[in-house]
Amino acid sequence: MAKRPPITNRVRELREAHGQMSQAALAEIIGVTRQTVIAIEQGRYSPSLESAFRIARAFGVGVEDAFGWDDQAA
Amino acid sequence: MSFREKSAWAMIFILFSAGAYYFNKIIGISHALGETAPPIISLVISYVILIVIASIIIMAAIAGTSGREANQPADERDRLIIDKAGHWSGYILAAGALAGIFNYSVLHDGNLLFHIVFASLMLSQIGEYVFQIILYRRGV
Repeated sequence: MAKRPPITNRVRELREAHGQMSQAALAEIIGVTRQTVIAIEQGRYSPSLESAFRIARAFGVGVEDAFGWDDQAA
Repeated sequence: MSFREKSAWAMIFILFSAGAYYFNKIIGISHALGETAPPIISLVISYVILIVIASIIIMAAIAGTSGREANQPADERDRLIIDKAGHWSGYILAAGALAGIFNYSVLHDGNLLFHIVFASLMLSQIGEYVFQIILYRRGV
């Protein structure tokens, strides 16, 4: 298994808190494929800064509310 | 399995089959001649045509079963994976080219040099799709 990126996220949690928003709907909002949203949620992909901002704005939160930094994984 | 991953598997199958067809012919001709077969342009052209036709048919079939996903352009993750896989596959091509040059400097067989470089090109193409699958599955 590949080393996990040190960037953690609460995307799944935020998506579920926003009326069970589907992965496809979030993908549409931020302009990526549903597979990429799945990869982000599973920690297999760290999105670009632009996509991170788009995700945070989609949920009306700050980037640091949606994403975090895992010192142990860094 | 995503559309892009299915496409990569399909391309591996197509490239491997076409490569096997090509080298099966070349090895047969080399045995018949008792020396390395010269480059056969008609065989190279039929190899390319085989890949193009098989790609169109198989990709159309995969797209037909993948719905909307097939029409979506590559996103940032796809582009990163394609770039990385292309970068790594370049090493296969370079290694093959170096092996061909070394081989030529020792054996002075230009026909063998052609086949080694052509095989490296085939392997690097297959490798590119293998790396894409690895990156899609393991993360990038």
